[in-house]
Amino acid sequence: MKNLIKDLMRSKAGLIGAILLLLIVFVAVFAPFLDLPDPTRGDLRARLAGPTWDGLFSPGAHPLGTDEVGRDILSRMIHGSRVTLLVATTAVVLGGIVGTALGIWAGYKGGLVDRVLMRLVDIQLAIPLMLLALLVVAALGPSLRNVVLVLALTSWIRYARIIRAQVLSLREREFVQSAHAIGASTMRIMFFHILPNVLTPALVVGTLELARIIIMDSALSFLGLGVQPPTPSWGRMLADGRVYISSAWWTVTFPGLAIVLTVLSVNLFGDWLRDYFDPKTRNKK
Amino acid sequence: MTQPNVLEAKNLMRSFGGGTGFFDRNKPVIHAINGVSFEIAEGETLGLVGESGSGKSTIGRAVLQLEKPDSGSVKFRGTELTTLSPPQLKPYRKHMQMIFQDPYSALNPRMKVGNFVAEPLVVHQVESGSALTDRVAELFQTVGLDPSFMSRYPHEFSGGQRQRINIARAIALNPAFIVADEPITALDVSIQAQIVNLFQDLQDQLGLAYLFIAHDLSMVRYLCSRVAVMLRGRIVELAPTEQIFADPRHPYTQSLLAAIPVPDPDRKHRPRIPFNVARNIPPRDAPMIEVSPGHYVLDQEIQ
Repeated sequence: MKNLIKDLMRSKAGLIGAILLLLIVFVAVFAPFLDLPDPTRGDLRARLAGPTWDGLFSPGAHPLGTDEVGRDILSRMIHGSRVTLLVATTAVVLGGIVGTALGIWAGYKGGLVDRVLMRLVDIQLAIPLMLLALLVVAALGPSLRNVVLVLALTSWIRYARIIRAQVLSLREREFVQSAHAIGASTMRIMFFHILPNVLTPALVVGTLELARIIIMDSALSFLGLGVQPPTPSWGRMLADGRVYISSAWWTVTFPGLAIVLTVLSVNLFGDWLRDYFDPKTRNKK
Repeated sequence: MTQPNVLEAKNLMRSFGGGTGFFDRNKPVIHAINGVSFEIAEGETLGLVGESGSGKSTIGRAVLQLEKPDSGSVKFRGTELTTLSPPQLKPYRKHMQMIFQDPYSALNPRMKVGNFVAEPLVVHQVESGSALTDRVAELFQTVGLDPSFMSRYPHEFSGGQRQRINIARAIALNPAFIVADEPITALDVSIQAQIVNLFQDLQDQLGLAYLFIAHDLSMVRYLCSRVAVMLRGRIVELAPTEQIFADPRHPYTQSLLAAIPVPDPDRKHRPRIPFNVARNIPPRDAPMIEVSPGHYVLDQEIQ
């Protein structure tokens, strides 16, 4: 843990990513305690008000402007980040658990199990993920739960592939043979000998998946298939604001910036994490 | 030998490749072991030597049923093992263990070594709770490790210490028979002697029988009561250790023995005995003949 922080301090990109990410998560978590205007209440007299620093701390201020029905953009962005982060992390964890479990199973068992699962992965990879997501959401109906399920569905294959490849080499290691020789059950070997040794790659895939899923979640919202209004979401804000892009630039610029910064920070952090756990790139700097 | 046999292997065969699947139909078939028979008495050490790829390790794995032999029989104290299902095999696994060549790859890097040594006891539900901890501490002492190391991870240990941990795990269930697959090859020479002595001490204390796979002939001479020499999946000569060193009959054995380094400058020009492996692949159906009591040689143009 100490080494981890020390190494992070030495990596500029990783450090920026980590700080930015921490900041975003912090604001999202403590949003209810910040004195923000109600993100769902409009004020038609103040519709499409531009960003202004005047009276920043007065109750009716809109530092980042308002949207077409006069809702505060800053407040909507922060509350939108709560939804996005909740959806993305749940989907990543869910996809991670399923993908890792199936990857271990396929890699360790081999044979028919492996072949069936990996062909399933191939089939899913042949279908554009966005199309698949649209199809499933359209069939199940858009809701928070369904969006999480769909995003996890597009995510598990990446874990499964990478974990399986790791397991294929782990399986031949002598400590696994040795567990077999003492009569340990397959479940025991998979849980105590394989799983702890694939957690690191799973974690790395997880961070990189998080960035991809945030974008995908925003895209789904943009298309109207994400979390439904009035719950604020970044993608929805983009979709609603794009009509006013020439007259009220702030309606799309700030939510867009939020997506870019979040994804960028996750990617920077994820890249550093991958390098940190990869012995080939570690200690090179 | 007056002792009964702990293990009997008869006519073991194991081949690789030559798949029937769509993609690997044209792979050549390699006979890793091609009709191997031997037996090991209780408390005895049988050495198994031969060049890389001669099938030594495959024999070790086939004997322990880590890899099912294609045909042939393996009997542990008279019970046929090859026909048993995994659950039926489990009680026998208590009595047979394996020690691996590479002490770095043989330990789970994410498991505390105490838990690693305790695992066989947990799997077979022999001990639990504080009795388990006590037993593991005792095992650590038996192999010459400080019991306070129990809560550490493998990367904190040296090669020799790691091999001691592996040995502690292997003897945890008081087995009758251990396959040691080149257990000292990966260690420093100075550590090798310590580990070999540990093997001997444990044999004296616990009455273990070993199948000691090696290619260091001087270690084999020191440790083993009988030696089997392997070539291309067959045993070409099997005899009591002193017999084989004094009177090697098979040309491959003679060539191997002539290659042992001798720390004596006066003998530095002693002749090597060349042996062309490619031209002397042991014929599949050649029988073993007994040239003197307990000394068997593959019947193949013996000089």
